[in-house]
Amino acid sequence: MKKVVMKINGKSHQFIVEPDRVLLDLLREDMLLTGAKQSCDRKGQCGACTVIVNGKAVRSCLQKVANLDGAEVITVEGLGTPDNPHLIQEAYVLSGAVQCGFCTPGMIMSTKALLDRNPNPDVEEIKKALEHNLCRCTGYAKIIDAVTLAGRFIRGETTPDKVRPDPNGPKIGVSHPRPSAIIKACGVAAFSADIKLQDALELAVVRSTEHHAKIKSINTSEAEKMPGVMGIMTADDIKGTNRIVIIFPDQPILCKDKVQCLGDPIAIVAAQTKNQAVAAAEAVKVTYEPLPVLKNPREAMAEGAIQIHQEWPNLCFAQPQIKGDAEKAIAASAVVVEANFTTQINHQAPLEPEATVAYIEGEGEDAQLVVVGRSIQIHGMMANLQEALGYENVRYEESYSGGQFGIKAAMTSEGISGAAALHFKRSVRYIPSLAESMLLTNKRHAFDMKVKLAADKDGKLTAFTIDYIVDNGAYQIIGIYVIMRAMWMLSGSYNIPNINAMGKLVYTNNPAGGAARGAGPPQVTFALESAMDMLAEKIGMDPFKFRKINSLLPGQSVSTGMVYEQWPFPELCDAFQPSYDRAKKEAADLKSGPIRRGVGIATHAFGIGGPGDAGRVAVELDPDDGITIFAAVADPGEGNDSMLTQIASHVGGIPMNKIRLVTRDTDHTAEMGPAAASRMTYMAGGSLILALEQLKKAMEEVGSKTYEGLRKAGKATHYVGSKQAAGQEGPLDPVTGQGPSFESRVHNIQMAEVEVNTDTGEVRVIKMTTAVDAGTVINPHNLEGQLHGGIDQGVGYALREEYIHGKTNDWNTFKFPTMKTSFPMDVIIKETPRVKGPLGATGIGEMTMVSTAPAVINAIYDACGVRIYNLPATPEKIKAALTAKK
Amino acid sequence: MNDSATNNLEAGDVHQKFRTIAGKKILFDKQGFLWHPEDWTEEVAVALALECGIETLSDDQWRVIRFLRDYFSYHGRAPLNRDLKTGLGISLMELECLFPGGIRHGARRVAGLPNPRTCTG
Repeated sequence: MKKVVMKINGKSHQFIVEPDRVLLDLLREDMLLTGAKQSCDRKGQCGACTVIVNGKAVRSCLQKVANLDGAEVITVEGLGTPDNPHLIQEAYVLSGAVQCGFCTPGMIMSTKALLDRNPNPDVEEIKKALEHNLCRCTGYAKIIDAVTLAGRFIRGETTPDKVRPDPNGPKIGVSHPRPSAIIKACGVAAFSADIKLQDALELAVVRSTEHHAKIKSINTSEAEKMPGVMGIMTADDIKGTNRIVIIFPDQPILCKDKVQCLGDPIAIVAAQTKNQAVAAAEAVKVTYEPLPVLKNPREAMAEGAIQIHQEWPNLCFAQPQIKGDAEKAIAASAVVVEANFTTQINHQAPLEPEATVAYIEGEGEDAQLVVVGRSIQIHGMMANLQEALGYENVRYEESYSGGQFGIKAAMTSEGISGAAALHFKRSVRYIPSLAESMLLTNKRHAFDMKVKLAADKDGKLTAFTIDYIVDNGAYQIIGIYVIMRAMWMLSGSYNIPNINAMGKLVYTNNPAGGAARGAGPPQVTFALESAMDMLAEKIGMDPFKFRKINSLLPGQSVSTGMVYEQWPFPELCDAFQPSYDRAKKEAADLKSGPIRRGVGIATHAFGIGGPGDAGRVAVELDPDDGITIFAAVADPGEGNDSMLTQIASHVGGIPMNKIRLVTRDTDHTAEMGPAAASRMTYMAGGSLILALEQLKKAMEEVGSKTYEGLRKAGKATHYVGSKQAAGQEGPLDPVTGQGPSFESRVHNIQMAEVEVNTDTGEVRVIKMTTAVDAGTVINPHNLEGQLHGGIDQGVGYALREEYIHGKTNDWNTFKFPTMKTSFPMDVIIKETPRVKGPLGATGIGEMTMVSTAPAVINAIYDACGVRIYNLPATPEKIKAALTAKK
Repeated sequence: MNDSATNNLEAGDVHQKFRTIAGKKILFDKQGFLWHPEDWTEEVAVALALECGIETLSDDQWRVIRFLRDYFSYHGRAPLNRDLKTGLGISLMELECLFPGGIRHGARRVAGLPNPRTCTG
């Protein structure tokens, strides 16, 4: 042990610590200063734990406390508070740089250290100073904006009051600060691992070391005797169905007889400390009888392959889509291209590990199990927990969320903590490591696609065929919906009169495929948009012109047969044309030598308002004539709090500071469905307006806009609105794949400008430009933030990222995007009001992810003449293709 | 292809299924809950009750059904059992016995309350 005296946020403290105690743990556990976050398993990879020590930004997970005697430490809590924030915290909020907010405290501390030594840094100096701070939400663009603005504040060139939009001015189309942004910037928003839970047991999970095996025995006897261990539970201790269910009930919370995937959970250890729990989990002895491991769908569909789940065949779902006669049209077409494409399994990569906590509130028949996590569908999660755990009185609370990007459509660690709280009758914390979080979560589905695309002599598309085989992994999370979503949006921006498609979903022993930004369309759009470029070249037409002349037009139908009356894609092309011309001109001079410039285009028309979707939002007029909104509108970083507040204030004519949000627990909210599918603005915003219109009608009827006026007239002050999307007539036809698609579309053109080093195969993104028509823009910062983040994730998907189960175990092996890999981004906005959208808006969360990868791949081809068919386009693949071309 | 790969192969939307109930074509989810609570009528309730073995809905059963519908209409979510107990003054044991399948799979289904949405396109 060693005695250490340190000054933390201006106050002196004495600690007596073990030699290996790191500053991050001391701050979080001893000082309860949880602004510094833990993401990368204390490897110094993420910077979320950055604090200032003796004037320098340091990653506190790498700092041994024993070496800090006499040090002066400043944490994010030492800068400012929500009532009295530091200028840097204000700059982050006012720049729209705070999305999920998990990385924000660390970013702000690195910014503080930079601006203290250089109050006027340029972009390269900013990037250098923040190179150790990772962000998955922003693509770093607005973080650079925030540092720049903070410098202006500090230099006295402007003030927050001059930058902040007038809260009494217009509400729509204005970047009013997010209601939640300042508490995130000040480090006081409670993420799951930050929740203080008195006398909680710490949990660790015994996980399968086999990919596919029968469980022969589980021996807990030695582990039970280990220090601090309070108990060990297995599947037999779960009273309910023990099944996680979104579509098929195929995934156990704890495996009993068999494991289907490396890392499957087998037993839960509860102990007094985390280290004790982990040590005991390692001492639990599990014996297995290994079974054949199916590593890809083709193996799993092969004759004689072992069936992974007894109840469902490995090929568990297939959906055709037939429009017109594609084979006949191809035979009659002037030009046809044919190719095979594959996409990789990928991790959604939220910075926050899969932490959840659970406790029992109340006693006897009224005892309620409370589970706290970052689900994006808290009511669905609650219902699943009720059945799985055999306990009805459940409340799910959404904590602040360190990103999710689809991963939290599924149950990840809630079943573990909920089951343990019930079994041990104690409060519990399950805070898995990053490596374990990667092991236990769902991933983006890998696709294997065979396509043909044809056009007539004038360059008009005639037919598209695609067979896609999807690796479902070991469990059915939303695999069937990934197949369906690909079908619903299959023809993208275009009028393709003849379609023949088949999507097949196949169980393997890979990690379960789940929701991942875009979920289905990014994969098939990579194939379609690559084939579009191939076909344009064969015809001899400019690829952008080829896309424009093939735009769907109002009154024409998409691949499902649904006719759209609004399709403002050609107008978006017109707005985009100057940027394209500029990029092509600049690239034209850089076509020789080892470094070659290329320009690539891809487009999409992403669906918003799924067939048969419904939302529900309740509003209550409060005694002070403010409004409280009750709806489970999860906000893992998109800015749904802004959306609800700004729409309610605009429609209700009530100041924004009198709009209150109750969105985070199942006991008080209307069930709104998941914050997925880019649906919250469209469905929750739409439902909110319908509720407010009822309230306003009641006000008009009594001639009063006050609570008292309504009450005296005997009118209700509480209303529920329910937006119902088109397609209520039911699902796609199982034989033809014809039927309803999304009620509205968000249109997008993506342009990548890249440089390819033909000696090394390395690709540098020079700039990404996105043109988007998402209808009415409610909050420009939030819209841009989604576009930037989607583009950054799309570039990672195109060039670097690939999740390999059991090998990808931290942010370095994942190849997480950094300041170094970031690039400039331009955004072109058109606002064609959508007839059925709330105030004319659609949704934006996933769209730019969809078309980014093909834009990058097309740009690589334009630069150096090699086409990559299998994502990601690593330097090795490009170099090999260049060598083969020679 | 593995043995049963073609036997139980599913297509279309496995979450949704149309059925004709009380003369109406109504969309249900896979667990037999209404997709749209707005499709519910008293005639639909009678038909769904008959399907789960209730020949005639009693006054107590109608009280539970109306409470469920009123609660859902007001709050936009289904009540927990404790809300039912408090609102109706009936013990949980009695409530569970009132409908085959209990509250969750009996009463809520007959009352036309939907399951929480988990997949929404």
